[in-house]
Amino acid sequence: MARRRAKAAPKGKDEDVRTVAMLVTAGIISLVVAISVILAPIPQVGPDEGNQAPDFIADAYNGFGWNEYRLSDNYDWDWNGSSDSKWMLIYFMDTDCPYCWVDGDEMSQLHSQWSDRVNFVTVAAELSIPNHDSTRGEIEAFRDKTSYFGCNSDRDDCIDRPGTPNDWPYIDDRSMTIMNMWGLSGTPVSFILEPDGTVAWNKNKHQGQGGDGEELSEALQRLVGGQ
Amino acid sequence: MSVITPPLMAFIAGIVVSSYLLIKAKDTSGEQGTLGVLNASMGFSAVGIMGSGWTWAIHNSMIMGSSSMCATEGLVQCGSVIGDPQWNNLFGIPWGLIGIVSFALIWFFVLSIRMDIHAKWASGYVDLLFYVSLAGVPFVIWLVLVELTMVDGAPHICPYCTVIHIALIGMVACSYSLRQKRDTGTWS
Repeated sequence: MARRRAKAAPKGKDEDVRTVAMLVTAGIISLVVAISVILAPIPQVGPDEGNQAPDFIADAYNGFGWNEYRLSDNYDWDWNGSSDSKWMLIYFMDTDCPYCWVDGDEMSQLHSQWSDRVNFVTVAAELSIPNHDSTRGEIEAFRDKTSYFGCNSDRDDCIDRPGTPNDWPYIDDRSMTIMNMWGLSGTPVSFILEPDGTVAWNKNKHQGQGGDGEELSEALQRLVGGQ
Repeated sequence: MSVITPPLMAFIAGIVVSSYLLIKAKDTSGEQGTLGVLNASMGFSAVGIMGSGWTWAIHNSMIMGSSSMCATEGLVQCGSVIGDPQWNNLFGIPWGLIGIVSFALIWFFVLSIRMDIHAKWASGYVDLLFYVSLAGVPFVIWLVLVELTMVDGAPHICPYCTVIHIALIGMVACSYSLRQKRDTGTWS
């Protein structure tokens, strides 16, 4: 009696093609990444000197109200190292930080000396420390030197802050978004940026362990004053 | 700068060709139809990889000021979307780079199945392909919301991003079609 033969299901290849597929995929990805990097090299972004400063968009108080502020809107991308474009001083602070309270005098002095060549901007953070709760009202009062009890770890009225009222933008970073983006954990910290946004001076590098001790005023003199 | 650039036209052409292949293969039964859907999948994932590479390059050039690779003004533009420091990354990783890696994974699954559609593991890879593609959909919805409502000066439509989003939707359709072919016995 003849036996009926069942039709065999199609069988896969003997060799495992997945290794080849993986190699082909790796090759294509390498090519795409290489072309992308050739078209636009990966920029070094971060707070270290020589890097592009991390850009941010946040609300800023200018003395009249809160408006959107983007750091890179102040850059001169075509800066060639010799034009009259303005440098930037970014000052990270907390309205309740005692050191920032004391810094008030120096910041006012530096602004009166350098404001024609340097754009000042203050980033007001809210550190996770007791009595460091802040509000927009407190930031406004700290900047304008108006009456608001709660500055300097809730010990002082903001109107008594050392220095003069500041007429540069204060950024609301109570969410700590910008602080985290810049990799900062404490205040006060200041940075000097070249007109194209390159970090030229980082306080932590100079005044931290192993630093040369250069002060902000000396750095401004060396970098901006020497031009 | 004009919105329609040669790379954008090439990506759109890739989407159109892949869509045509998918529609044509969907109703073709047997191995021919399966291979057709796989060819369409390769087209969509290739557009996804190259488009993501292009947006990553735009991202890198935007950090240093401006980009000549895409328009930066108007409703349809990349500058305000890819150049937005708040929304152009996920935990610091540019979306373009995430796109390259994601589409590379998709491409690997598709290529593996395409090279041996009768392999024992092919059925499992079809499922993986479907789930990986589907996992990208919430991100697409989120990114469309971001460009329409959250970026600086919203709404904006980034043409390259949109092409990549369409490529992902195309991949979901392809992987769904492959599952159907497998489950209804029309795989080969």
